[in-house]
Amino acid sequence: MSDAIAIRAPMAKVSLGKFWIVPPAALLALLFFYPLALIARQAFLDDSGVANAAEIIRVLHSRFFLNALINTVTISVSATAGCLIVGLVLALILAFVPFPGSGFIARLIDTFMALPTFLVTLAFTFLYGSAGMLNAGLMETFSLPLPPVDFLYSTWGVVLAEVTVYTPFILRPLLAAFSLVDRGQIEAASVLGARPFRIVRQVILPAAIPALIAGGSLCLLLTVNEFGIVLFIGAKGVITLPLLIYGKAIQESAYQIACIIAVINIALSLGLFGLYRFAAGRLGA
Amino acid sequence: MSAAAFTGASVMDIDAAKIRGVGSNVHFDKVSVAYGAHVVLHPLTLDIAPGEILAMIGPSGSGKTTALRAVAGFVRPASGRIRIGATDVTDLPPYERGLGMVVQNYALFPHMRVEDNVAFGLRAQGADKALIGERVKDALATVGMATFARRYPRELSGGQQQRVAIARALAVRPRVLLLDEPLSALDAQIRRNMVEEIARLHRSLPGLTILYVTHDQTEALTLADKIAIMRDGRVCSHGPTTELYRRPPNRFTAEFLGRANLLPVTIAEGVGSKGFATARHGDVILTSAGRDEKAGDKSLLCIRPQHLSLTADSEHTNRIVGTLREVHWQGELTHLVLDVDGTPVRVSATKLPMALPEPGVKVPLYFAPADTSLLPEDAGV
Amino acid sequence: MLVWSRSGRLVLWLLFALIFGVLFLAPLAVILLSSLSDQWNGVLPNGLTTEHYTDVIRGSAWNSVKASLITGFLASALALVSGTWAALSLRLQGHALKRLLGLLFFIPSAVPSVSVGLGLLVAFSHPPLLLNGTVAIVMIAHFVLISAFTFGNVSAGLARLSPDFEQVASSLGARPAYRLWHVTLPLLAPYLVAAFGLSFALSMGELGATVMVYPPGWVTLPVSIFSLTDRGDIFAGAALTMILVAATLVLLLGLERVTARATGS
Repeated sequence: MSDAIAIRAPMAKVSLGKFWIVPPAALLALLFFYPLALIARQAFLDDSGVANAAEIIRVLHSRFFLNALINTVTISVSATAGCLIVGLVLALILAFVPFPGSGFIARLIDTFMALPTFLVTLAFTFLYGSAGMLNAGLMETFSLPLPPVDFLYSTWGVVLAEVTVYTPFILRPLLAAFSLVDRGQIEAASVLGARPFRIVRQVILPAAIPALIAGGSLCLLLTVNEFGIVLFIGAKGVITLPLLIYGKAIQESAYQIACIIAVINIALSLGLFGLYRFAAGRLGA
Repeated sequence: MSAAAFTGASVMDIDAAKIRGVGSNVHFDKVSVAYGAHVVLHPLTLDIAPGEILAMIGPSGSGKTTALRAVAGFVRPASGRIRIGATDVTDLPPYERGLGMVVQNYALFPHMRVEDNVAFGLRAQGADKALIGERVKDALATVGMATFARRYPRELSGGQQQRVAIARALAVRPRVLLLDEPLSALDAQIRRNMVEEIARLHRSLPGLTILYVTHDQTEALTLADKIAIMRDGRVCSHGPTTELYRRPPNRFTAEFLGRANLLPVTIAEGVGSKGFATARHGDVILTSAGRDEKAGDKSLLCIRPQHLSLTADSEHTNRIVGTLREVHWQGELTHLVLDVDGTPVRVSATKLPMALPEPGVKVPLYFAPADTSLLPEDAGV
Repeated sequence: MLVWSRSGRLVLWLLFALIFGVLFLAPLAVILLSSLSDQWNGVLPNGLTTEHYTDVIRGSAWNSVKASLITGFLASALALVSGTWAALSLRLQGHALKRLLGLLFFIPSAVPSVSVGLGLLVAFSHPPLLLNGTVAIVMIAHFVLISAFTFGNVSAGLARLSPDFEQVASSLGARPAYRLWHVTLPLLAPYLVAAFGLSFALSMGELGATVMVYPPGWVTLPVSIFSLTDRGDIFAGAALTMILVAATLVLLLGLERVTARATGS
C-alpha cells in the first residue's frame, strides 16, 4: 500500500509541469483555431444560425468554383511533377557528379526558400511577358508583328513559376537522402561494370524514394496554397481557390461564399498535410 | 591524448584530504523498474558500503544502467526504496540527491569553458564565489587538467574530456559518484590508462562511494571492491571481486568474468575438512575446492586458462589429458585449445616448453586444486 | 564519381547550368537588371539608371520597409517565444497527448494563408475583439503563419539534443529553471536563431494573409510591390523587390554569422 502512495506522490508533482503547455496552446487556439471554427460556422450557417445547405450546393455547382478547383488541382499536380523531375536531376548532379562550387550552388538554391514567391513571377514578366526579353528578341529576329510566346498568362506560366519556387523543397530532402547513400556501394557497382543509369535506378533511386514522396507531398500542399504567384501573373483565366477566396472576400465582400470555398480549400490542404506527415514520418522511421 | 599529462604524480601532489568526499552507503531495497508490462529490473536488494567501488557488469539490456539511473533519479522505481546514507531518495528529484555523474559521451557543456563546466554544479547550488574557485582548482588538479581550465571542451581529446567530466562530478563533493560506461567511448590504450587513473583517484579519495556500470570485465576486475553481475534484470551474483573471480557461484558468472574452462564432473567424495572435494571426470579423479557438494552430485569443475600448466609440480597435482587442436601465439601469451573428452579446454601460458607439441598430439595438463571451484550444473546456461 | 568519362560529366554539368540558369539565375538577374533599367523595349534595357531606387525610397517605400521589418521582428519574436515554450513544455506531456498537440502546433503551416487572413477577419471584426483595421491583426496573421515553423525548428533542435546534458546538469544539483536557462536554452541557441531567421524571412515575403487584413497606413513590402506592379509600374516594383531581397539576405547572413560565432565553428 505504501508503495502505491509513494508512486502517486511525485506523479502529482510532475503533473504540475503539464500545465506549462497551456499558454502557447491557448494563444494558438484563440488566434488560429477559433477563427478557423468561425469560418466553418459562417460557411454552414446563415446569419440566423440555420444550416444553409442551399447556398453551399449553389457554390459547389457554380462555374467559378469548379473552374478554380480544376485549375488548382491541375497547377498543383503539374508543378509538383515538374519539381520532382527538376529536383531529381539537379540533386543527382549535385550529389554524384559534383563540380567545383557545387556546395555553394546548393546553398544558393536553398536560400530561394526564404525569398518571396512572387519574385519569380515578376521576373518572368520581364523574361517571357508580352514585352519581355524573349518576345522582343523573337520579334526583332523574325520581324513578327505580335509577340509569339504567351504561355506566361496561362496555367503553364503559373506552373513554371511554381516549379522554380518549390524545387528547392524537393532538392533539400533529396540531397540529405543522397548524402546517406554509401559511396562504397556505388564504387563497388561501378567496379562490377554497372553503367551509371543502372546504378541510379538500382542503388540511388531506392534510397531517394522516401524523400521524393515526402518532398512531393509537401510540394502538393504548398502549390495548392500558393497565392502570390497566381495573383502577380493576374491572368483572367487562371483563378485558383486561394485567389477566389481573396476575390470573393475583399473585392466582392461576399464573405459567406468566401468561407464556403475556404472550408473546401482548408480540407484539401489538411488532407495533403496528412499525406505529407505520413510520408515524412515513414522517412524518419 | 597525451599520456604525459596523465601521470600519477598529478594526483599524488594534491592534498587529497581536501577533496575527500563524504562517503555514504547506497541501499537498494527491493527496487524494481518496469515500462508498462515490460520489467527491466526485477526487485533488487543490494548495498554499496561507504567508500566502496561497486562495479555492475552485464550484457546490454541486463538492467545495470537502469539500476544506476534509478539511483540518479532519472528512472522511477515501480516498487521499492533507494536510500543514500540515511536519506530515502526514492521520491527526491535528481537535483536534490547530492550525486555526481559521469556518462559515456561525457556530456560536457559545449558552450562553457572547462572551468565553468567544473563550476557548474556549485553555481547551480548557489555556492559562494571563493569556494567555487577553490573547489574548481582542486578538482581540476585532481584529474591533472589544471592547465586546461580556459579551454573549451571541443579543444580537448576524448580522454581529456572524460577527466574534465570526472572533475565536474567531483567538484560538488558528491556523496556517491555514478559512472555510467565512462570509458567505452575511448580507444583501448587510453582506456587502460584511464582505468588505472580512476583506481589511483579512488585511493586518493578513499571515502568516495562509486557505482561503476560497465560491460567490460577488465575495468570491473581492475577497479571494483565488489562486483554485481546483472543478467535479464536480475543480479546473478554479487560479491568481493577476487572472491567472485576465484569462486564463481554459477556458470554465467564464471564465463562472464574472465574466461573459464568448465569440465563436467561427478562428485566422488564430498567436501572434507580442508575444503576440498574429490570429483570424477570420466576415469580421471580430480581434487577441487568446493562448498557443500555431496557425493553423487553432478557438477562443473571451473579452472581458469592461466591456471593450467603443461608441466607438473608439487602444487599442480591434478592431471587431465587432452588432444591439442590449435595454437595461437599472441606475443605475451600463447593460447592452446585442447579437446578433453569432447569439452574444449583453453590454456593461456606465458612460458611454454621449448619443443611445442604439434596439433593432434595428446598433451597432459596439470592444475592445482586451490585454483579450481565447483559450480552447480543447472544454474545458468 | 558516378560518371567517369569527362565528356559525360561535361554534358551533365551543361544540363545543370541550363536548368539552374533558366530557373534560378535568370529571374534574379533580370529583376536586378530591370530595377536598374531606364526603358526596356528590346532584348536588353535601353539604358541604366538608379532612378527607380531613388523614386521608391523618396516615395512610400521607407514606410513599407519599416512596416515589414517591424511586423517581421515582432511576429517572429512572439513566434519564437511561443514556439520554444510549446516545444519545451510538450516534453512534459504523456506520449499520446504529445503527438496530438505536436500535430496541432504544426497545422497553421498547412492552412492556406488567405484562409488564415479570412478567419481573422471573420473572428476579429466585432467587439469585444475588434482588431480589424489595426496593425495588430497584421502581426497576428504573420504570427499564426510562422508559428509552426519556429515550433518545428525548436522541436527538431530539442530532439537532437542528447538527454545526457540535462540529466548530468540535474544530477549536479541544477533545478529545472536553472537547467533551462544555463544548459537547455544555450544548447538550443543555434536552432532558435535559425528559427528566428526563417520566420523573419517568411514574414518579409508574406502576401496572402496580409492582403486580406492590412489596414491603410501599414502596407508591407510585398503588398506595396503588388500595388506598384498592378498599376503597371513594374520597374519600381522590381526595385522594391530588390530591396526586399537584400534586406532578407542581409538578415539571414547576419544571423548565420552570429550563430557561427556563438558556436565557435
